[in-house]
Amino acid sequence: MTSRNADAQLDSSDVSGVAGALSTLLVKYPLHKNYYLRVFAQAILTIWAVLTVTFFLVRQMPGNPIDVLIEQILTQEGISYQEAYDRVASSFNFDPDASLFDQYLDYIGDLLRLDMGTSITSPGTRIIDEIARFLPWTLFAVGSGFLISFVLGIILGMSMAYYRDSALDHAMSLISSFFTGVPNYIWGLLIIIGPGISWNWFDVGAARGTYDPGLTPGLNAAFIGSAIEHALLPIITYVLATLGSWMLSMKSSTTGVLNDDYVNVAEARGLKDRRIITAYVGRNAMLPLFAQLSISIGFVLGSGVVIEEIFVYWGFGHYLFQAITVRDYTSVQGAVLILSSTFVFSNLFADLTYGLLDPRVRITGEK
Amino acid sequence: MSSKTLSAPHPLKTLLRLPFTALVAVLGFVNRLRANRAGFIGFLGLLAYFIMTFIMPHFIPFDSEVNLDEIAGPVGSRIQLAVHRDNAALRSFEDLAGKTVGVVDQTGGPSLIAPYADSITIEKYRWTSRRAGPGIRAALVDLANQEIDAMLIFSKTVEEVRADSSDPELQALFAEHVVISNSELGPPHLLGTDTQGRGIATHIVHGGRILILTAVIGGVISTLIALVVGSLSAMIGGAFDAAMTALSNLILAVPRLILLVVLAGLIRFENTLFLGLMIGLLGWPPLMRAIRAQVLSLRERDFVEAARSLGLSTYHIMFREMLPNMISYVMINFIFAITFAMYEQIALLVLGLAPIDDYTWGVMLYFGRSRGTLYNVDGASMALSPVLAIAFFQVCLVLFARALEEIFDPRLRAAV
Repeated sequence: MTSRNADAQLDSSDVSGVAGALSTLLVKYPLHKNYYLRVFAQAILTIWAVLTVTFFLVRQMPGNPIDVLIEQILTQEGISYQEAYDRVASSFNFDPDASLFDQYLDYIGDLLRLDMGTSITSPGTRIIDEIARFLPWTLFAVGSGFLISFVLGIILGMSMAYYRDSALDHAMSLISSFFTGVPNYIWGLLIIIGPGISWNWFDVGAARGTYDPGLTPGLNAAFIGSAIEHALLPIITYVLATLGSWMLSMKSSTTGVLNDDYVNVAEARGLKDRRIITAYVGRNAMLPLFAQLSISIGFVLGSGVVIEEIFVYWGFGHYLFQAITVRDYTSVQGAVLILSSTFVFSNLFADLTYGLLDPRVRITGEK
Repeated sequence: MSSKTLSAPHPLKTLLRLPFTALVAVLGFVNRLRANRAGFIGFLGLLAYFIMTFIMPHFIPFDSEVNLDEIAGPVGSRIQLAVHRDNAALRSFEDLAGKTVGVVDQTGGPSLIAPYADSITIEKYRWTSRRAGPGIRAALVDLANQEIDAMLIFSKTVEEVRADSSDPELQALFAEHVVISNSELGPPHLLGTDTQGRGIATHIVHGGRILILTAVIGGVISTLIALVVGSLSAMIGGAFDAAMTALSNLILAVPRLILLVVLAGLIRFENTLFLGLMIGLLGWPPLMRAIRAQVLSLRERDFVEAARSLGLSTYHIMFREMLPNMISYVMINFIFAITFAMYEQIALLVLGLAPIDDYTWGVMLYFGRSRGTLYNVDGASMALSPVLAIAFFQVCLVLFARALEEIFDPRLRAAV
């Protein structure tokens, strides 16, 4: 429909060239005034800027994979440099002679065709397959860690607000400061040193990887149990490291809501305490935390690099770190692209859906 | 101009009074802090850290002497000569000539006995990571059965194996036959030793200064940039505002740690302080957004409106009217910026991407992990000590910042 209309517009308009066609189009369909489209375009623009910066940045890193491989072939087979160079160039899926800008155009072109390319250091491996192999583990660990700490934080934060100024509140404030203060990888190290090594509760070596070797991935009990077992340490770490901030946010948010008139009205109407807590206080106090959730997901996905290195958990952070150490440019690009789009789109999603969750924002937001 | 005529006192007088005013302000502040117990603990903790990392290094020398006989010694441990009860006369290396002596791999034993290899038969036992693990237990069983005559072993390890009540038979065997004949082969260390036999306690004392300085530099830079860019964005608006918002969005879109990891590979951070600069340059966007929002809302307030209608300069409005209203918020976020800078710096160190020339807590952690002492009960102190030092420092900072929040924000004080 739209394209036919556009063609018709092109034929009838006397302005020549693409720019003219575009301006006539925009006059007819004022897309640039559409809030959703504009926000979406901004998100795409940000991601494009990120991947451009990443593209040129990773190629400036000292040491490149081609030289490493050429050096290897030269010492192993004793052929001429040109021969080695030709072989490396043909085995890699990009032309090292091409100018950086041509490579960049190729990369963008491939991306537009939804092709993330293949790894440089292990030719033939498609990056999208690698990401599909590693990302689910991280999503599983980070996701369950977040869910648990979010729920726990809401319950604890609400009880802190209800019993504020009591011994319970003071003790939990102290604990939550402790939880937020200690960096997440320090929690990881403490888990390894304390329960893992000193008290011998579990075997640190056996907890490495994502599941026990010899199991076939699938929906069988052994595999799922093993996957949970291996993810347990990262999950506990994420819970410990994020719990404190949820507790405090929920406490201050609940304290605010408790002073609101509708809570007094609900009490005056003689509603049961449980109903007031869940339906009136809890649901409203939780709202600001949803906006935080999306922001902290980006942070945690990023800091997963250290956590996964510490526990030797083979997730997305591990994959990204390996790619950086071997200077696998295309893999780094792919991983950063995934990370930043997750961050940008989760923020966008939060912005767009927040109005649905909290109609008060929607009303004041419309001008 | 008008602001100058308002401030009457002679400059010299103000200067002379400054120390007293500062002292009164500090004492008053500490007094208010005392009401907030957690914050006071945090404050005292930071004071203790200051003394430990900035003053104590002048009195306690850095232990850089490699002592191969104390490698990865457990806390408070020293190498001992354990012998069979019948051989209790064996007390020195000279006595051991012609005997078979057991040593455990990866402890100080092998290097301690190496010079005597000609005259002594050496039996090596495999190191196992668990205390009282099979390797050490096997060695002690051999000793009890007189298959070896003596053994060089850490005092703590022997005690552990002896106290291990899981196997009463072995316990009885050890109690009956194994004795310590010489406990003076090496000095004990407060926090044990690292993989080169150097005292960890001195490293903890010396390892904080540069780490904290770097974190503070990172925090100062990111807070300053955030303050300047944020308020300028809000005051100027237009293209500058749009450009700065886009830039901050761009920096925020890549997880900061990942960006630092890539940059760490790109720029070989030649020294740690440069790393602080880099962290600061990447850390400003979140605070900049908050400050921009604050300035935008402050601009509309009545007192700013009044100042503007009085014809006061933009300079005056920014620094005398608006800044005092934001300064507490900025200060609290400055402290949080320090914790973030520290977080990122140590993360880079743990991953082995930052310079390890200065022997900081982060570098201790890196070596503790890469040399495997993290997975070894006897050597765990090498990783555990810096872990605790970092953890408590961060907790003290957070407690202090929370206390500031409550002191500066009376609303919060009333509500909480």
